[in-house]
Amino acid sequence: MRLTLGATRHKTQRRRRSRSRFVIVSQPGFRSKSARCGVCHRRGFLLFHANTVLQHKEMSSDALKKRKSKVVRSEGGTPEMKRIRADGDQDVRVYKEEVELESRDPEQDFLMYKESCESLASLMSDIQNLKANGEKEGSAEVEQKRMQSCIHFMNLKKLNRLAHMRLKKGRDQTHEAKQRVDVLHLQLQNLLYEVMHLQKEISKCLEFKSKHEEIDLVSEEEFFQEAPPEISRPQLTKHDSHQLTLARLDWELEQRKRLAEQYKESQASKETILKSIEVKKEHLSSLQPGLNAIMQASLPVQEYLSMPFEQTQKQTEIARHLPPALYVLFVQANAYGQACDKNLSVSISGDVDEARALSKPPEDSQDDESDSDAEEEQEKTKRRRPTIGGQLDDRRREMLKRHPLSLCVDLKCKDSSILHLSFFYLMNLNIMTVKAKVSTPTDLNTAISAGELLKSETLLSCLNTSDQGRETPNPANRYQFDKVGIATFEDFVDELGHPYMWVQKLGGLHFPSDTSEGVHVGSSLSASHMQSTMKLLRARVQSRLALHRQFASLEHSIIPISSECQDLFPTKIISRLARWIPISHQDYAVLPYTRPVIDAGLANDSDLYFMAVIERGTARLDAAVVLSPRYPEISPLFSLSLSWKGERSGCTDDNLRAMESEVNVFRKELNGLRPGHQLLTNQIARLCVCLDVFLETEGQDDSVEGPREFPREKMCLRTVRGPNRLKPFKYNHPQGFFSHR
Amino acid sequence: MGPVELLHMSVFSQSFSPCGRFLAAGNNYGEIGLFSLSAALSPDATAANQKPVLTFTAHDGPIFSLISTDVHLLSAGNGEISGWSWNDLIKKTVRPLWTKRPSCRSSLEVPEINSMTLNPRDNNLVVGGGDNNVHILDMEHGVFKAVLQGHTDYIHCVTIRDREGDILSAGEDGAVRVWDSRTSESVHCIEVYKHESCARPQFGKWLSCVTTDSDWMLCGGGPSLSLWHLRSLSPASVFPLIGCQRQATFHQDMIIAAGDGAFVSHCLLGGEVKAQIPCTPQSINTLQLNTNSSEHRVLTVGGSSRHMDVFTNLSYRAFSLHF
Repeated sequence: MRLTLGATRHKTQRRRRSRSRFVIVSQPGFRSKSARCGVCHRRGFLLFHANTVLQHKEMSSDALKKRKSKVVRSEGGTPEMKRIRADGDQDVRVYKEEVELESRDPEQDFLMYKESCESLASLMSDIQNLKANGEKEGSAEVEQKRMQSCIHFMNLKKLNRLAHMRLKKGRDQTHEAKQRVDVLHLQLQNLLYEVMHLQKEISKCLEFKSKHEEIDLVSEEEFFQEAPPEISRPQLTKHDSHQLTLARLDWELEQRKRLAEQYKESQASKETILKSIEVKKEHLSSLQPGLNAIMQASLPVQEYLSMPFEQTQKQTEIARHLPPALYVLFVQANAYGQACDKNLSVSISGDVDEARALSKPPEDSQDDESDSDAEEEQEKTKRRRPTIGGQLDDRRREMLKRHPLSLCVDLKCKDSSILHLSFFYLMNLNIMTVKAKVSTPTDLNTAISAGELLKSETLLSCLNTSDQGRETPNPANRYQFDKVGIATFEDFVDELGHPYMWVQKLGGLHFPSDTSEGVHVGSSLSASHMQSTMKLLRARVQSRLALHRQFASLEHSIIPISSECQDLFPTKIISRLARWIPISHQDYAVLPYTRPVIDAGLANDSDLYFMAVIERGTARLDAAVVLSPRYPEISPLFSLSLSWKGERSGCTDDNLRAMESEVNVFRKELNGLRPGHQLLTNQIARLCVCLDVFLETEGQDDSVEGPREFPREKMCLRTVRGPNRLKPFKYNHPQGFFSHR
Repeated sequence: MGPVELLHMSVFSQSFSPCGRFLAAGNNYGEIGLFSLSAALSPDATAANQKPVLTFTAHDGPIFSLISTDVHLLSAGNGEISGWSWNDLIKKTVRPLWTKRPSCRSSLEVPEINSMTLNPRDNNLVVGGGDNNVHILDMEHGVFKAVLQGHTDYIHCVTIRDREGDILSAGEDGAVRVWDSRTSESVHCIEVYKHESCARPQFGKWLSCVTTDSDWMLCGGGPSLSLWHLRSLSPASVFPLIGCQRQATFHQDMIIAAGDGAFVSHCLLGGEVKAQIPCTPQSINTLQLNTNSSEHRVLTVGGSSRHMDVFTNLSYRAFSLHF
């Protein structure tokens, strides 16, 4: 830039010099000037080339004018010319029209011009006038006039030249000023550019990001508190934030170094601890075979001492895979067996491996299930599903799936009969079921009518009131069943076992009947029901076995009366049990004389039904019996019909009704020894006695000849009593007579 | 009371309260149940109103007879009579005012009391029962002042002839005895079973009910129910009812009778059976018309069932009260 600026300066100087020579230099001077200009060109000032060209042109036109003026001057031959020639090359002596120009006033020139023109015009008109007046060419007056006009012409020429020079001067001045402005403009641009550059640099600096900003430093207060003064240098850093940051960074570095040290140490200690653990593990595993050997060796001792540690341990191991409900039952039954009941034994059966597989990843399995479900769905949609029915069957089977492990509880009764209970857990329904079996030391299959008694379907029904174990106790199952189209759980009871309420309670499952609070699995629930349920179970088996034995003799028309109950009956009973047969509920329901019992809702589906026939002579008493599964807690219910001199029944005859109440209502007298297993036989025996009384006290129709069919043998105080003329059915033991209630 | 006991319950006696708004009923377990007729008959009655408002055990044995004086309820159990205040019972306080036992020859068995009736003229209670005698209890002093002896078997029913004040008793021996209350002598003895038109030997000779209306007497039991003219002591008409009748009563120009069979029979005095209205109990021990209140004028029937039928209109059973 400077170079260019310098070049322009140099150029203007040179031009000034050349211009000053213009006047004296003639043609060759001009030529040398153009050659110099060529040098300029060669030097490469490209920026100003156009200007120079322009200047050349101007100069050439100037040169032309000069030539002209020179011609005029040479013609005129003014005194100044002489002086210039005398001076030769010296500038001082050179005539300078420019100097003259400066001393002249353009206004005066203009006036002079006007004057010249006017005088020229007047001379011309004078000449014309003279010519017109016939003056001859070349007359003095004309010639004079012509001379005068020539001078005026010269004057005009001079003025013209001056005007031109003035114009040129003005132009030059303008050009020069313009040059200056250009230079200044360039300078300004340079400066602006520099300013811009500097500003950019500044902003770049301002935008610079330091790495330390990303480092999370401790807060200032903390820093001043913790850092040693040689790092924090409070007197320096308190007021200088830059120093403060530096100091904080220093402190950070220090701390990090320290922590890295610590980390290394911890790593090392961890290594050592791991190593020591490894060593200890090896030691422990080396102990195992030895212990095993000791266990093996101790087996005979255990057997000898009847302390089955090994067995219980194994069972406990297996028990870990039991579902929660069965586990609760297992623990509680074991505990109860140890604490209260030595005749109760618990064992686990089933596929342990399967259970283990089932219990291992409980969460994963669920996920898998849902995943596989989704996959299945997809597969199903892809390949045509086999049949809707078959698929539904699969889903049903899946829903009713039992846990692979089951719990066997064996309850030994006094007469060495054993109640085997198998508890199952239905995983998807979250209920427990039970299957029962009774094994007796002696063969019992003699009684036909007893077939129902020990069947597993009915053995445990209604252990508690109306707990028939046919419907699932879990209300949620209803919806699950709806999904797979199971109408009722009853259809699967034979296969899966009965979901009695007490089974759920033993397993700690509590299903609230109407509220929708959740299912709890609780040991306390199981524990609170264990004892009562075990007692009920035992009582149930005992009563069933007792009934079983009684039925066997009843079928042979023998009414077994135990010695304790002898006092309840007179020694001589003439009426005989003729038949004892089981009947179905339908058979029972169609009997006309059982209507009141059915209407009272005392004959249920779960009950057992029997028909007893008692005969004496021509009289025949039919007794339809409802035997509740909860016998002897709930007494059998008799409905009577007598066919003797016409039909009469408990509905129509007050005396037969009284006989019914004698066995149904006054059962407490007939219970015999606790827990009352003799009840049924005592009731039948009493019916026989009552029939005897009835027949013997029936009023003799005097009009009929001949001896009475049934001679009175029983001792009665009164044969009839009260408005409804009841017979004396109550036997008074030591005296041996019959009286009324 | 368990379902089996309810199944074997029989209602033997009934009595309406003096105000006519309550009905007391005695059953075979010695219980007296107090039913609110006004509640049961109200238009917005529910099933709960058919249950007794109060049940209490009054005696050991069955309660064969209940009777109301103008303030008391008298109940007869096994050989004893208890008096209860109606006011107390309505307030549900159960406390016997007194208990009386008719003297009887000592026996292994306490004789029952089958029937009681009030003699308003002398303020006497006439009691008949298992010891074959009619006892007369002076209600004023609370002592048994007379014993009428003559029956050879136990007495089923006693009644009073309104105008003459004679006592009539019918018993198992088949005789209706008419007693002079002043002399305690048996004036007449009618042996119904000996009249051929009435006799039914297949059922026996016993008479379980007797009732009178001026000169007319109605009696039945083993023999057919028959209407007797007391002045001539001859049967006027015999009613062709099949079973043995245990209760019979005059009602306006009609006779209402009930006994074996689950129905109430309406008979005309001439001897025709006009209607037999079915009811719940298979045999009927007691029927009672509420004359104490015009508002609750109903016929109630009890028998070998825990249900007692209520007839607001004599021609059909309206509903049942039950224990």
